Amino acid sequence: MKAKYLLLFVVLTASFFPSCRKDLKNVETPENYIGGTFDEVFEAFWNGMNANYVFWSIETTDWDNMYKTYKPIFAKLDINKTADAQKSVQYFRAMTAGLKDSHYDLSFVSQISDSNVSPAYTRKLNAGILRKRYVFYSYDASYYLDSASVLSGHDEVNASNGDTTEAITGTIGGNILYLGFNKFNLKTAYQSADNGVKSVLQYFINYLHNPPAGFKGVIIDVRGNPGGDISDLNFLMGNMVSDKLVIGATRNKNGNGRLDYTPWADALVTPQADAKAVTVPVVALTDIWSTSMSELTAMAIHALPKGHTVGEKTWGANGPLTSNEILNGGQFSAAGFLSVYTSSAMFRYKDGKIYEGEGFPPDYDVPFNIADFQNTGDLQLEKALSLMK
Amino acid sequence: MQLSVVKIPALLILILACIRCSAQFSAGIEGGYNKNYLVTNNSNRAFTNYFPLNGFNIGVPVQYQFTEWFAVVTDPSLIQKNYGQERSSFFQGVYQNNYNSYLQLPLTGRILFGGKRLKGFIDAGIYGSYWLSGKIKGVNANILDLTTNNTATNSIFDYQNRYGYNEKYIFDKKKDNRLEYGWIAGLGAGYDITTRYHVFAEARLLYTFTDQQKNYMTNQMPRYNSTYGINAGIMYHFHNNRTTK
Repeated sequence: MKAKYLLLFVVLTASFFPSCRKDLKNVETPENYIGGTFDEVFEAFWNGMNANYVFWSIETTDWDNMYKTYKPIFAKLDINKTADAQKSVQYFRAMTAGLKDSHYDLSFVSQISDSNVSPAYTRKLNAGILRKRYVFYSYDASYYLDSASVLSGHDEVNASNGDTTEAITGTIGGNILYLGFNKFNLKTAYQSADNGVKSVLQYFINYLHNPPAGFKGVIIDVRGNPGGDISDLNFLMGNMVSDKLVIGATRNKNGNGRLDYTPWADALVTPQADAKAVTVPVVALTDIWSTSMSELTAMAIHALPKGHTVGEKTWGANGPLTSNEILNGGQFSAAGFLSVYTSSAMFRYKDGKIYEGEGFPPDYDVPFNIADFQNTGDLQLEKALSLMK
Repeated sequence: MQLSVVKIPALLILILACIRCSAQFSAGIEGGYNKNYLVTNNSNRAFTNYFPLNGFNIGVPVQYQFTEWFAVVTDPSLIQKNYGQERSSFFQGVYQNNYNSYLQLPLTGRILFGGKRLKGFIDAGIYGSYWLSGKIKGVNANILDLTTNNTATNSIFDYQNRYGYNEKYIFDKKKDNRLEYGWIAGLGAGYDITTRYHVFAEARLLYTFTDQQKNYMTNQMPRYNSTYGINAGIMYHFHNNRTTK
């Protein structure tokens, strides 16, 4: 009798044990999708975004709804038809229109007309807040810098596709140090064979390390600067601090779920060799075209004891970028059809706010106006100078 | 999968059918050691794997023995279900250990067999648990704390400085599913050291069938705990209806 019950017990309980779990489906990198159909391309893109995009925690875009809406639409497209490829761009544009990542950009492997997909750019354009991009350092060198002090140069050594780094330094009134440059590739230039940018940086760094009596301040002009090499954060700002400077924090993905994140890690500026803490005012000149590393530099300046930002709100692309495998997230390509350029980590400024998609507001708002500029001069620079009197 | 409306009554009938007058109530304490595996799929992630971690549990076993050979047992417990994630190769040294504590309430049927004082037993049942707290400890590469003047190139830490952390896990209301259900199976043995005191040891499998995450996104990859453990403890018989020879 007992054996019968035992057998019944074992059989009944064993019958409960067949898996109550959902299947663990294969999960592929978006690059692995073959892309023979638009349905495949859509799956690769949508799932790639699901797993790799780093701003889901602050997004308002309903990505699940995009799946429901656009999966059947893409399924009807023929990947061999040019007209359908053009339609797909419109759908990708619509799906991503609200994304906060202001680095975000799609590029297509095949040549497709009207294929620019850049949500932040489109939003700014539609809002009427975009103007032509200018750099001001040449103008400022001519009209504000002490002419005998001006040093400018190009880095022809590290040019890529004819795109060179250029920089200008000098003083204003003999005791205010100025630096302007067109992009962040400064450390590379500095560590390379003799080039014009290296000379500019040597002057700038030497001045910081050995400031003259009466040193009044530093102006770093990142207006119109699209950013660049992240190692320039330490290289440039690390010459103005004597201790590690916390400017904020970053976090990146650590799983395939949209909300899988590492904890926040302090974002730091590390002092460079022989650096001294700059105790005079330091001002970043920013405008709407100050992007990425320009924004991080402006925020790092703002984090200094006497740091200020002057000009306009920045572009709003603060998240650092690297290749996908480094931080298990960020940029990827989907099914050999398109590439997604997107941040690898989320950045939070030291005030606890995330300025991605918003832009970093200046302490002193001095909007650019071409008429004022032509008639009066560089009012943003003049405001910066006023902070150093 | 939902529990079948047929299977639950069948189990209850089995239990009721076993009831005899010679009931015995026992309670005690137990402690154990376990190894928990996170069951999921992240094969798309470069050089990244999950691995099991050890944990501990303590509980208060309560047994109601209906017959010589059948009892119902519950043991409200505090149990850790820990796991880790690590990266390899170029990323060697990047890891995160997740230490998760659950308050767990199982209900198992127990078939006893063997002699008068030394008995073996088989447990099978269900449990529910609540994810009380979590702690994360690990090392990550910090993209905004770059190394300076480092010429080595064989590790991520040659480029980015280490960021070590050891902090409380902050639950995400949108993502984290703090209620967990599953099956328990166990095999053990007990010994009546006196007429009142009984010691036991048991090997257990906890098989979770609820995802650690709420169903918050399309194409979500589930995550399940599978916990293998050993328990040992002592119980006190409150109503002894038989004599020990």
